[in-house]
Amino acid sequence: MRTLVRPTSLAEARAALLDSAGPVAIAGAGTAATWAGALGPVETELSTTGLSGVLTHNPGDMTVSVRAGTPLRELQAAVREHGQHVSFDAARVEEGATVGGLLATGDAGPSALVHGSLRDLVIGTTTLLSDGAVVRSGGHVIKNVAGFDISKLLHGSYGTLGLLVEVVLRLHPVPAAVGTVAVECDLPEAARLAGELLASQLEPTAVEWLSSGRLLVRIDSTEEALPARLDRVVALVGGTPDPVSGDRRPGDDRRSRGWEEHAALTRGTPGEAVLRIGVKPSLLPGLLARLPVGTVTAGLGTGVATVSVPVGEVAAAHAAVHAAGGTSVLRTRPVSGTAVPAWGPPPSAVAVLRAVKQKFDPDSRFGPGRFDPWEIS
Amino acid sequence: MPLDPIARAAITAALPPDEVVDDPVRTRAYECDGLTGYRVRPEMVLIPRDAAGVARAVAACHRNGVPFVARGAGTGLSGGALPVADGVVISVARLNRVLEVDVENRRAVVEPGVTNLEITAAVARHGLYFAPDPSSQQVCTIGGNVAENSGGAHCLKYGFTTNHVYSCEVVLPDGSLVTLGGDTGEQQGPDLRGVFLGSEGTLGITVSVTVKLLRTPETVRTLLADFPSVAAAGDVVSDIVAAGIVPAAVEMMDTLAIEAAEEAVHAGYTVGTPAALVVELDGPIEQCDSEFAQVKEICDRHGCTRLHIAGSPEERAAIWRGRKAAFAAVGRISPDYFVQDGVVPRTRLAEVLQRIAEMGEEAGLRVANVFHAGDGNLHPLVLYSAAKGETERAEHLSGRIAELCVELGGSLSGEHGIGMDKACSMPTMFGEEDLAVMQRVREAFDPTGISNPGKVLPTPRLCGERPGRYRAHPLEEAGVIERL
Ligand SMILES: Cc1cc2nc3c(=O)[nH]c(=O)nc-3n(C[C@H](O)[C@H](O)[C@H](O)COP(=O)(O)OP(=O)(O)OC[C@H]3O[C@@H](n4cnc5c(N)ncnc54)[C@H](O)[C@@H]3O)c2cc1C
Repeated sequence: MRTLVRPTSLAEARAALLDSAGPVAIAGAGTAATWAGALGPVETELSTTGLSGVLTHNPGDMTVSVRAGTPLRELQAAVREHGQHVSFDAARVEEGATVGGLLATGDAGPSALVHGSLRDLVIGTTTLLSDGAVVRSGGHVIKNVAGFDISKLLHGSYGTLGLLVEVVLRLHPVPAAVGTVAVECDLPEAARLAGELLASQLEPTAVEWLSSGRLLVRIDSTEEALPARLDRVVALVGGTPDPVSGDRRPGDDRRSRGWEEHAALTRGTPGEAVLRIGVKPSLLPGLLARLPVGTVTAGLGTGVATVSVPVGEVAAAHAAVHAAGGTSVLRTRPVSGTAVPAWGPPPSAVAVLRAVKQKFDPDSRFGPGRFDPWEIS
Repeated sequence: MPLDPIARAAITAALPPDEVVDDPVRTRAYECDGLTGYRVRPEMVLIPRDAAGVARAVAACHRNGVPFVARGAGTGLSGGALPVADGVVISVARLNRVLEVDVENRRAVVEPGVTNLEITAAVARHGLYFAPDPSSQQVCTIGGNVAENSGGAHCLKYGFTTNHVYSCEVVLPDGSLVTLGGDTGEQQGPDLRGVFLGSEGTLGITVSVTVKLLRTPETVRTLLADFPSVAAAGDVVSDIVAAGIVPAAVEMMDTLAIEAAEEAVHAGYTVGTPAALVVELDGPIEQCDSEFAQVKEICDRHGCTRLHIAGSPEERAAIWRGRKAAFAAVGRISPDYFVQDGVVPRTRLAEVLQRIAEMGEEAGLRVANVFHAGDGNLHPLVLYSAAKGETERAEHLSGRIAELCVELGGSLSGEHGIGMDKACSMPTMFGEEDLAVMQRVREAFDPTGISNPGKVLPTPRLCGERPGRYRAHPLEEAGVIERL
């Protein structure tokens, strides 16, 4: 029997934890429920959707604090009125993913090339541990080196270390003008063009190849400079400006048709498993050529790709990525059926991961199974 | 308490003789870092040649329960590399090789003793550079930058060391060698690299770092602008930000700091002006031009009394020379000084400067201000004369300024770290429980507490059981629990 609790405050969340026993699943909007290791049996499901809302937005300081169950797109809408946004464009944002969920899954979108992932944008967190301890780290200022940066530990923790309750984020100005150049090409050609772009001083915000056979290059700019900057991209790599779809204002997060297609491709091919892989950018094209991939979005500057592969090939894919020195994690497993390995071999610091888990969640209540087969417990 | 002879022998045996220093004359050179007011002579200094040597040294310390303190260039300003009395210092000075430059993947693998500037020097011919640029970059090491999560004038746009490191190889406090982080921004599970960055040597010793390199920007525009008041200069910063511009750097100096800097390096600053701003933009030419025009317009709107635009790389270098000299130059107008490093939300800059001026007046001490205005990171320099017996008063004022920053919603430190200097102030920023959980992180990496003990987190031994001012627990703020 699984009990569902939906606290609306830190105090309620703490009481719910302390009043229950046994394993607990932390759930946000559920947009990444199938990511990483399959959740083992739990007695309590703790939903963060009641922990919602912007707490403080200081436009002059370009910082915002929110409760962790707030969908990022709601936060974006609130701060965009002031010409600001969180420089973060993972596809799940549009599906209603929460700030806490995006942080806990270490997600990132194409603009990670310049802005990094949420770990680079989070400046403070409040986290509830399974024994009822509450820890704040960081603060409300973008520059701060006081104390250990616990926010980083929660990044990629998949609900195994603690419940994020509040998150403070750094904001950036919404670029006044955004344009994308699309080039029809195959992956080896895209890799060559990306190499030229990244060696140039044109400063693209995102450089992604799509398995539909297109390279997308995004430029964030001032109004005045955009035409010239796009012209220079076209002069270097060819292609044409990618049309902005009708219902979107310039400055919106997914700015053109190409990026909508990109978001759709990250969801994979029905019936196949989706893997997120990261490898040195120069090794990515060769690695993808060796894998039996279906749909692909490949960050040619970041080395991060989201691909679909047949279920039976997941283990071999993990091994191939590992052999190239990279990282891989399962993102979508087919609904039922055979166990699909979520992770490749454990990182060299797995003993530290185990020790952190033991210190933060001594009774192993949070997120059983999420890091299987690494035995983080 | 002197080092136990058995432990001493075991540690000595772990390394070749020329990597062990225990002659008191030579160990004296390691008794302090950049915060020279605190000195402790270490029992021994170990200077291994490679990562394996560091691992052997740490393992020997671990087996014998001997605390160790990692040391880079010793430029830290918070006593982070201050030795512990019954322990050893492990210097990474000999691990100073650039191991690999990977132009295609825009990264380099370097040993921890490589200086910040040597990284850029090694890659500049490929049009690449390492973005974090602490003012001490000619001498401070990348290992120290990782430990302190150092920033610099350009971190407003480009971020701190943590945003520019893919992975670190680390000798854990039990002597084992692990890699934290990986080849991309994607991490496998919790971001251990992220928590290690900025842990000030308390979680282990870095033995190599894979840093991210950036392509040098196409163009750089730098201006120096004078204003009739600090408040007017502050308004300019706010308006630049409100215009949606993220400058590469925005630095402010007040009258006293300008006076000192001019006296020292004659960089062309206006002596007597109440405030000066250095604003730098970089990027593609078209972008830079359109933003630079806006910045000039904003300066004019706020009554700029002199606008100097660097017309050549030499002029730009001069502007920065003035800014970077300000710290040391203060030595010309005052026999002694303390540097603070608090941060306030940018919108409270004018208020905090006003309060600092009042506090200085009350204490009868002068305070010069040089700071990173874009991100609210202050560097108040409290001027005093030890010979006149002003030390204690100055120290008190300096500590009060850091705590004031916390009161205004900021932080005790923007880049210099907590070390031992500010460990006892941590309870003004964090509650007991926050600190207790940070202690859990420390124990996960270092169960026996031998890696740089007494730094970052307050201990009763260091700080007394001083209840003092404290930070309310989140549940107290929510009205759930109370403290009677
Ligand atoms: C004039 C001056 C200007 C400065 N300007 C800036 C500035 O603009 N921005 C800024 O951020 N800082 C600045 N600093 C502070 C200082 O230079 C930085 O903190 C720097 O990163 C320290 O590097 P270091 O090699 O000197 O480290 P050290 O002082 O030797 O050590 C600093 C800390 O790091 C730990 N440590 C050192 N090496 C390692 C290692 N390999 N593994 C694990 N731990 C290690 C030490 O134990 C200690 O806790 C300035 C200092 C001076 C003197």
